[in-house]
Amino acid sequence: MVRKAKELNLKNNEDFALWKNFLENVGINNFSEEEVNQVDLTIGIFDKQKLLATGSLAGNILKYIAVSADSIGTGSNFNLIVSELIGKLALKGIFHTFVFTKPKYVTSFQHLGFKKLAVTEFGAVLERGFPDISTYLADIKQTENPVKKTAAIVMNANPFTLGHKFLVEQASQENDLVYVFVVATNAGLFATDERLKLVKQGTQHLSNVKVVSGGSYMVSYATFPAYFLDSPNDLIEYQTTLDALVFKNWIANYLHINTRYLGSEPLSRTTSIYNKILKKVLTPEISVKIINRRQLLNGEVISASNVRKKIAQNKLNELNELVPETTLKFIRENAAILKLRIKKGMKIRGN
Amino acid sequence: MEIKKTALAGTLESSDIQILITKGTKGIEIELESDVKKQFGDQICQAISETLKGFGISQAKIKAVDKGALDCVIKARTIAAIQRATNASEELDWRAI
Amino acid sequence: MTQAIDNERLRRTMMFVPGNNPAMLKDAGIYGADSIMFDLEDAVSLTEKDAARILVYEALTHVDYGKAEKVVRINGLDTPFYQEDIKAMVKAKVDVIRLPKVESAAMMKELEELVSVAEKEFNVAPGSIHLMAAIESAKGVLNAPEIAAASNRMIGIALSAEDYTTDMKTHRYPDGTELEFARNMVLHAARAAGIAAFDTVFTDMNDTEGFYRETKHIHQLGFDGKSLVNPRQIAMVNQVYEPSEKEINQAVEVINAIKEAKVKGSGVISLNGQMVDRPVALRAQRVIKLAEASNLLDEEGNYIEK
Repeated sequence: MVRKAKELNLKNNEDFALWKNFLENVGINNFSEEEVNQVDLTIGIFDKQKLLATGSLAGNILKYIAVSADSIGTGSNFNLIVSELIGKLALKGIFHTFVFTKPKYVTSFQHLGFKKLAVTEFGAVLERGFPDISTYLADIKQTENPVKKTAAIVMNANPFTLGHKFLVEQASQENDLVYVFVVATNAGLFATDERLKLVKQGTQHLSNVKVVSGGSYMVSYATFPAYFLDSPNDLIEYQTTLDALVFKNWIANYLHINTRYLGSEPLSRTTSIYNKILKKVLTPEISVKIINRRQLLNGEVISASNVRKKIAQNKLNELNELVPETTLKFIRENAAILKLRIKKGMKIRGN
Repeated sequence: MEIKKTALAGTLESSDIQILITKGTKGIEIELESDVKKQFGDQICQAISETLKGFGISQAKIKAVDKGALDCVIKARTIAAIQRATNASEELDWRAI
Repeated sequence: MTQAIDNERLRRTMMFVPGNNPAMLKDAGIYGADSIMFDLEDAVSLTEKDAARILVYEALTHVDYGKAEKVVRINGLDTPFYQEDIKAMVKAKVDVIRLPKVESAAMMKELEELVSVAEKEFNVAPGSIHLMAAIESAKGVLNAPEIAAASNRMIGIALSAEDYTTDMKTHRYPDGTELEFARNMVLHAARAAGIAAFDTVFTDMNDTEGFYRETKHIHQLGFDGKSLVNPRQIAMVNQVYEPSEKEINQAVEVINAIKEAKVKGSGVISLNGQMVDRPVALRAQRVIKLAEASNLLDEEGNYIEK
């Protein structure tokens, strides 16, 4: 048998049909446009014309890994497909990979150097390579000596509002040290570095607050893709559980975090499921504090999506009730760019 | 010699070993995954360490996934990873091997 | 005379092994190929050239390949890998460096020069690294005689049909008519220069009949052997090259006559009242070698019934 690895072009109808049919035969059925569009590269292992295995990359995440069960050397085809995908990433200078998989495949991935980040009865998330979660945590750790009360807040801050500010101030008052993790995935109107910068500027007056990037480990495409896609409730619940477990087992454990602060979320379905699951997974080891949203006198809720809406509607003069001075200044200075992004199709709804 | 960037060499296929190398600060740290780790783990790590020493590398973090590689394969993949991590454009000094 | 032919080894089978595949490098010695050709060229992707070179180097210096002749196909002289390949393989003391896409004697002379320099640099015995050329184009075929005679280091010349047929604006056919001229040129060039001639690979593993047909054909033409892509083909080639009982018995008689002449101190070898001339003696010695390789002779040098 002469096995050859070949790229499949999912934009090509013939390749797509071959690929989809192969995956359906092994029980993979999620071909929603949103999922498939995430794929940057697909590889097939062939024996002559026969497809034996396939796998895809979406950023640094392995997706749609499948090996035909009737072929000889199922294990070696699995190794080959993962090896090829990791090799492709390495050529792009990426040496860090994630995979979401069913619990029964965890061992197979572990044999290829993957490490478990979190496992539930429905699925697992694993990573391999450098830099890994240990590197990430060592980089952000503030002190070797744990302080008594350490809290964490994870926020997308798209952009940083007075609601976020209030939440951070509450945590700052009640704790010795507060880590604010800003979601790193670049999927919103405000870019990752802009969001991080605005959170830092907006919390500069609080000396015990440390603002860091959430990296690949908090509400990222790796741990929680459904956050960024329009997903059904059960998928959100399952991924949220993984995300919460990564937080509990790794982040909180390593940084000695004992309280997680959340903002109540009456408007976003995803976020309210997220909050519910977090409470379930984290307690009792880590206490969860939900801080109620502040409302304006007219009953309007302070939310980032409200801010984005007003930018889209060109109502910049109404923003001073919603965002701190620092965010307002940024929006004013960059209004043209932000509107251009909206015009180009950037979603302003959602999270 | 000094590790300048992260680099990968070798595959996950049978009889091979995949070596991932990056900068380190605590000497040579090797994390090994192998079906025969219990029996041959020390030997594999030693083959990697010795090759690194041969190139004068004293600080590095390594993740190795072994699929039953011979010693000479371990050495070859380690050298390839070192070459890629130090300066790929530079020609390997064949007199040093 | 006896000495000259004793140095010539059997080269019935030259098995290709991809240079970046540790599993195949590890096992390459167990199939009994006369020559093993480690490939740094087509079988290795551009991004793995460095790793394959190091891997083949380590395999050559650590793995026991028994009596097999070790050949490495390096990358062509128009590639950025050419010079590094030469250095590494000379240092590894490979038996033969095979240069692909050879079109002129000058290309072999350039290679010879670089090999000499590397031998000095790495303290390898001068002249110990042999060379062979792969002919893969019309120009190469027409220049085959000068290529085969380009250097004292030359041990063989091989036809590579895939590129050649493309160059000729055709492709390979089952009957091989399209290769006839090239095969004869390469073979004549080799014989005139006193080196080995290798036929091209046969890639369709499912067509056993076609493989036998082609191997019998090139055996009949006079090729030393064939390049192979799969170890399963080794026994098949050896079977075609196996001498018959009649050939062996005749050869044994000739060899005995040579021994007798030696003992007698006679300058003339005679058998059944006829003089044995040089070509007959040479052929007898080659048949004996083939018979030995096929395990068809006992300790005393007599034919063993199968």
